[in-house]
Amino acid sequence: MSDFQELVKRFPKTREYVRDFFVYGFKTREEFKDKSPRTYDNERRRLESWLGKYVRKDYVTGGSNISLAIDSNLLDTNPLFRVWKTKSFTDNDIVLHFLILDLLQDGAGLTAEEITGRLLTEYEALFDVQTVRRKCNAYEKEGLLHRERAGKRLVYSLDNSLAAWIKSNEGMADALAFYQMAGCFGIVGNHLTEQLDFRNQSFRVKHSFCVHTLEEEILLSLLDAMNKKTSVRLEIKSSRNGAVNTANCTPLQIFTSTRSGRRFLCAYLSKGKRFTCYRLDTIKVVTPLEQSENYDELLSMLNRNRGLLWGVSFQGKDQHHLDRLTMTIQAAEPCENYIVERLRREGRGGSVTRIDKNIYRYETEAFDCNEMLPWLRTFIGRILSLECTAKSVEQCFYHDLQTMYRMYQIHTKSPDV
Amino acid sequence: MEVFSEVYSCYYQVLRHLLCRREALTVPDIRSQICGEGFEESMLSIIPKLEDGTWNLFEKDGELYRSKLSPSFTTPLSNLEKSYLKALLSDPRIGLFLNQEQLHDLNHMLAGTAPLWRQEQFYYFDRFYDGDPYEDENYRSCFRTLLQAQKQNRYADIDYTSPNGTRVHHHYVPVRLEYSVKNDKFRLLALQQSRSSISSNRRGTQTKNESGKNSDTAAGSDPDYSKHWPRMRLETLNISRIQSVELTDKVLPCSVDINAMIRRSYYKEPLRLRIVNKRNALERAMLHFANYEKNTTKIDEDTYECLIYYNRNMETELLIEVMSFGPMLTVIGNDRFLNNLKTRLQKQMELHADI
Repeated sequence: MSDFQELVKRFPKTREYVRDFFVYGFKTREEFKDKSPRTYDNERRRLESWLGKYVRKDYVTGGSNISLAIDSNLLDTNPLFRVWKTKSFTDNDIVLHFLILDLLQDGAGLTAEEITGRLLTEYEALFDVQTVRRKCNAYEKEGLLHRERAGKRLVYSLDNSLAAWIKSNEGMADALAFYQMAGCFGIVGNHLTEQLDFRNQSFRVKHSFCVHTLEEEILLSLLDAMNKKTSVRLEIKSSRNGAVNTANCTPLQIFTSTRSGRRFLCAYLSKGKRFTCYRLDTIKVVTPLEQSENYDELLSMLNRNRGLLWGVSFQGKDQHHLDRLTMTIQAAEPCENYIVERLRREGRGGSVTRIDKNIYRYETEAFDCNEMLPWLRTFIGRILSLECTAKSVEQCFYHDLQTMYRMYQIHTKSPDV
Repeated sequence: MEVFSEVYSCYYQVLRHLLCRREALTVPDIRSQICGEGFEESMLSIIPKLEDGTWNLFEKDGELYRSKLSPSFTTPLSNLEKSYLKALLSDPRIGLFLNQEQLHDLNHMLAGTAPLWRQEQFYYFDRFYDGDPYEDENYRSCFRTLLQAQKQNRYADIDYTSPNGTRVHHHYVPVRLEYSVKNDKFRLLALQQSRSSISSNRRGTQTKNESGKNSDTAAGSDPDYSKHWPRMRLETLNISRIQSVELTDKVLPCSVDINAMIRRSYYKEPLRLRIVNKRNALERAMLHFANYEKNTTKIDEDTYECLIYYNRNMETELLIEVMSFGPMLTVIGNDRFLNNLKTRLQKQMELHADI
């Protein structure tokens, strides 16, 4: 493996491998059917190099598995952030990065020619002006340098006042320590904490999904389109069968589930004249298209409809516009009042009514009550009745319940026992 | 703006730390920095580049390497980072960390920068409704005092109202502030001196105290803890239930290995799930339980076994999560978890039998 490189040029392939290892963590070399064994070996070696302390090896029949053993209860940062720090670069890139930024630390403006000259005299580093100018322009684009005209001269300068301000504010260090774990684009917060030499030793985050960070590049493109109110073409790879499809849509909002670990793009499909949601982890490429003329109108329409969404589905199996679900539960007062609290807290706006001592009714309307099933099942052991205008939902709930009774050999207790 | 850029790469980070060292470095010094901060194979790439001068960033003085950079070298913030900070300014929790003046200053410095995202562009559809009151001044004050105590390893005098309404007043050492994305709440993980000297050393031993809070025995059987201070236990308190906090002068003599304590609290027997890959069950379950430490193995073509490690504090929540999958998952162990599940099903069957 003489051509092995620890760093990589592009992120998408890495994204798929890391996700497979992290989420599944049981695939052997032979099971990565779409990839050549050589590719698999290289990717696996990289993963072990980047995330060594989280890599677990298990020997099973047919080969060895590697998986990522990450317990989010024990983390001060997201280990998968390391995957973002693997971009390859040239020798010139790294040398120019440090020397140009060092040269400009005092805030004075210099032209590309002056920078080139001083790199030679002060650092004994020989570069041609074009290379230096190209790097300065790239850094100006990324915001690391300012570029302005001073008479006929085009000068580059650097402003470290913001970095200095952050360094001098303990509260800001705490904020970054927290947000790199808990917020959107945690990777950017992590870049900042590392850049300013902060470390999180105060915060833990529960119910966060490390794997979300792998979607940040896609998310950035989608937010950019949302800010510019443009339509996009999405390339989507099905998580079930791997089939690749494209969709043209207007991106409107990011829907996040704090329970299932899924994030979605909610978008409007002009062709089908309807809203739909795509899982972010299935979106592989985002291509910006034309401006959406009625963007604000679509967003208002989504906001009006959102109250009737349980999750991400705008229509149920029964093809009704709207369905009503009623669940009656038993909760002993006052020691089980927390159950009633759960209905209020988790019921997404549904009404909770006390109908008798220890008996409560929960009622709601939603486009697709089928999406409620996982939540409804969490009340198993307390459900007195469940009714839904979408009969398939009722049937599915009771059918699953019967299946579980059989699976766990639950029988009615005989009266004489 | 690029998230995947060499500017943020691990190699640049390692090099910056080496270049900002005031003293001359030996190759072993450089190696040690790379080992601590770089990837496992980074040394193979970095050391030759420095030795042969391709990365002409050090002056070689015999066996020593002297940085050509100023020790105060600072990387300026990129547009991506500035946009990120601008977005944080609209987050309701930012007031926990920065006061009005600091918020104003930061906003002023970021004038002209567009936020990376806006709050309304994200919708958390299954987040609980009763999130913490981040705007409340007393809440903010308690939060800041707890954070200060945590950083200084100091005891804090905490006045707390338990879920059952009991007012409790104790001294605690805050060890972490834990945020739950699902609950949109902060909890305090804190050590409290155990009043009882009798405590089991069994793994996973926990007690439920009079205020209804969950606690893990902190010292467990670790002789180091017992040697240095009296037995402590780890407690979890909702910060929104804390009425007031006062810092005390008392400091815990040495730091606590919170991860060791959490690990010790895990049950020896993990939850053992059997997953038949129908209706995309495998992918759903793997993602759903991705934030637990787990180990999945393939049993046959369509069947997988997944082990999930947890402690008593996580037990009810994990049970609820498993139940939400219905018959798509089968619990095959441990006995304790299986019995809890069966009890719920039995109760459900009896409820229907009663109707």
